[in-house]
Amino acid sequence: MKIPPVIILAALAVFPLLPAQQEEGKPVFRDAATHDSLVPILREATASDPMKDLEKSEGEDPSKENRPQNLIESSDLISFQGVTTLVPKRAIMMVPENFKDRINNHTPGNRVVGWLDFYAMNMGWITTVEISRGQAGGNEPLSEGLSEQLAKSKNMVVTVMESGPISSMPYRGDEDKKKEVETK
Amino acid sequence: MSMKKEKLLVAAAVSMCIAPFAGAQTVTADGYTNFIRQVQLPFEPDRIIRDVYVTASGNQLSPLAINPNGAQFELHTVRATPLTSYLLDTKYVGSYVPIATVAIRSEDPYTQIPRTRADRPFHVDITVTGLLSGASDPEASKRVELLRHTQSYGTGDGTAVNRTQATLLSQSFLTTNGPRTLTYALSSIPGANRAKIRGEERFSVFSVADYQAPASQLASMFVQVWPVADGSISGITSGQTIRFSAPTLTLAINDIYPDSQVYAQVYAGAQVLGTTGIILPGSALIIRETIPQNRLLTVSNWDHTMSGDGTWTVELLTSTPFGVDRLAWVSYNVDRTITVNGTVTTIE
Repeated sequence: MKIPPVIILAALAVFPLLPAQQEEGKPVFRDAATHDSLVPILREATASDPMKDLEKSEGEDPSKENRPQNLIESSDLISFQGVTTLVPKRAIMMVPENFKDRINNHTPGNRVVGWLDFYAMNMGWITTVEISRGQAGGNEPLSEGLSEQLAKSKNMVVTVMESGPISSMPYRGDEDKKKEVETK
Repeated sequence: MSMKKEKLLVAAAVSMCIAPFAGAQTVTADGYTNFIRQVQLPFEPDRIIRDVYVTASGNQLSPLAINPNGAQFELHTVRATPLTSYLLDTKYVGSYVPIATVAIRSEDPYTQIPRTRADRPFHVDITVTGLLSGASDPEASKRVELLRHTQSYGTGDGTAVNRTQATLLSQSFLTTNGPRTLTYALSSIPGANRAKIRGEERFSVFSVADYQAPASQLASMFVQVWPVADGSISGITSGQTIRFSAPTLTLAINDIYPDSQVYAQVYAGAQVLGTTGIILPGSALIIRETIPQNRLLTVSNWDHTMSGDGTWTVELLTSTPFGVDRLAWVSYNVDRTITVNGTVTTIE
């Protein structure tokens, strides 16, 4: 039997087509959960903890070790003319007396930028020194003449490796190295 | 592992760190500046830390060799005023360290932070790749450790929580590659009232310590858990009869879920959960926040919602991503029919 279009239109007007999602996603009504209603569920959940199915491990909590340091606490802040940047502590090798007020003296409201942006704006008073991994770790001395050159410099000196500021330990010297070998 | 492959690993790690964020060492639109810091492990005695510069979509080879003990890459973001830094993500890169990912799903579609409610389930999806099984393979390449931490916010909202104080609830080894899903019917965050817990659960995958490197975090994700709302209707009592105008109602709602609606409705008859009624004017709230809210509402002049005598019910409800929860209800009677009892007499 053919249904007249008028009847179909009338039916659609009375019973509008609901999206499938709306029918499927009909909200669930419930009384708000209470402590008493949740206790038995938690008991069951605890008993069926899926981690119990895995091989158990014991020992110290590894997350307590090697926890990343707070960035600001582990950095030196260099500020000048309303702009501040951060470099790792011990990356500033030398600060002339007249620039000391630019170190760790961040003014609230200063813009914080990355090192490369800051250095580009402040090349007039900052000098960078490329160092090796061995020098950064204090296992190799600075190259000959560099120490003297740094002593004469009127600029602040920052140690970098391929343009990235890097911390540097003081050279531990042959005596310390001998001790390390002996203890090994 | 060759140096070339090692450097590729580092580049991959740095790229992964940056992908979700605006850029490393670049100022984001909302005033944050991102920094990537590379920490060579073990930290002692050389204490080598280097800042890495990578543009938002770029990558860079590490000039510092990763061998033998690996390096940790940390993505921090810094807010200028007040000067504050937040650790966004870390990635540990080593010669034979497996790769892990952790994702948490809940019924709440909120995308910024996985979150759920004290009475609702959540799922933890963990994928591990790169585990080896050869007899001669290093111990750290054969398994990783899965940790589950819980931490209560107390009565706070978690902004000042010290995450080093989280409680280690359980720890297990993962010894096979591939995805796995852990399902939890409820959170185990500590709290005397299970409906009112608020805090976070963190699932982390750590490498296993060996002679070359300490245990290091490979992946980590947390889910925030907020309390179940509660509420009350005052100004009317169960069984009360309304003869004249409807009384003024006071609606008190506590711990409204951060993404929810609250409303009171009236319908004829005794209470039946799931009944749709007429929403009381002035009772509807839309909450779009990041932490639970408390509200106190007053509803008056709602006589027009009751069309006849008999038993009626007023309900306080909240609609959340988890469904509609009834917080309180009161059934009462309406009797507005005026009955006149009179007599007619005549006097002669």
